[in-house]
Amino acid sequence: MHIAEGVLSAPVLIGGATVAIAGTAIGLKKIEYQDMPKIAVLSSAFFVASLIHIPVGPTSAHLILNGLCGIILGWASFPALLLGLFLQAVLFQFGGLTALGVNTATMATSAVFCFLFFKGLLKSPNKLLNFAGGFLSGFAGVFIAGLLVALSLSLSGEVFIPVAKMIVIVHIPVMIIEGILTGFVILFLHRVKPELLGFFHQ
Amino acid sequence: MKIKKFIFLFLIPCIILGHKINIFATVEGNKIYTQSYASDGGKIKGGTIEVYDKAGNKILTGITDSLGEFSFNIPKKDDLKIVVIGGMGHRAETIISAQDLPEIDNPKLEKTQFKPKKESVQSPVITNVEIDTIVIKRLIEDAFDRKFHSVIKLIAEQKKERVRFTDIIGGIGYIFGIIGIFAYFMGKKKNV
Repeated sequence: MHIAEGVLSAPVLIGGATVAIAGTAIGLKKIEYQDMPKIAVLSSAFFVASLIHIPVGPTSAHLILNGLCGIILGWASFPALLLGLFLQAVLFQFGGLTALGVNTATMATSAVFCFLFFKGLLKSPNKLLNFAGGFLSGFAGVFIAGLLVALSLSLSGEVFIPVAKMIVIVHIPVMIIEGILTGFVILFLHRVKPELLGFFHQ
Repeated sequence: MKIKKFIFLFLIPCIILGHKINIFATVEGNKIYTQSYASDGGKIKGGTIEVYDKAGNKILTGITDSLGEFSFNIPKKDDLKIVVIGGMGHRAETIISAQDLPEIDNPKLEKTQFKPKKESVQSPVITNVEIDTIVIKRLIEDAFDRKFHSVIKLIAEQKKERVRFTDIIGGIGYIFGIIGIFAYFMGKKKNV
């Protein structure tokens, strides 16, 4: 999911950076003082999740957890993921620094999408619907991010359909695992710490 | 169904899912050997290798084999940029500077290797010795290259950049620190 240095063309890099800056600005505006610890924890979780590899056939894919960040943090996912991605780029060279904007845009946009579309399910008193909301967030977070990565690659010369297909196919296990994981996290938080899911004051 | 999907995955030529790929190149004799691998140690099969000269002209391209390796004869003595493209936004590059490359030998030398001894019966002794030194030097170099190939591969294997535990912990520390600073200033504003 991380796009490396020197792959994308300049207009795509600039476009991605613009989206990332706009999203981060909105995110920072919406952050309240009491949200800070939550953002720190989820930013760290995102930072570490990329190191967890799931074997897929001959190679492996890694967790992303942007759906989980999205559903809990909402628009604050932009600054949270930006920070996580920046440190991943600096410490592990995952994704180029020049591509930081694009990487933030692809992962955080899909995170915010999950938040906007599935937050309704989390408010429901029905546990099954809560789980479904979590599952869909985890699943769609990876799926949409994959499509956005394919889109940015196709804008830099690759053909969209085959790239998108390949990215989505190899991420199917990750989508399912993240879906289940996010579903259970949501159920757990509902039981023990419902106020963590209370980013709905926006 | 599941098995089918797995087989299908095996057939996709180059899937690289570590978030980072690396390329390691060494000069051995007249050849450059490259090894490409993902950050989790997986080999990059079927990745595209592109070699550029100092002026940025593409000199040659190739495909890595099942071990993620690709080797080619040194095309010219120049700063060579070797790029590996793994698809899905993965790319890495390395540069071999001109001073690390040997002078490009003329290929004729190879063919004349063992002939001079008999042909040079009439020629002065000095020439004979001269040619012999060249041949011997060449043979020794070849033998060294063969012997050291495995050693160099081993070094390449160990140089693989993997994620370090200290970096992970450090990164988490940075995140909490940076957000802590934000929180500090937000709290200050709130109190005023």
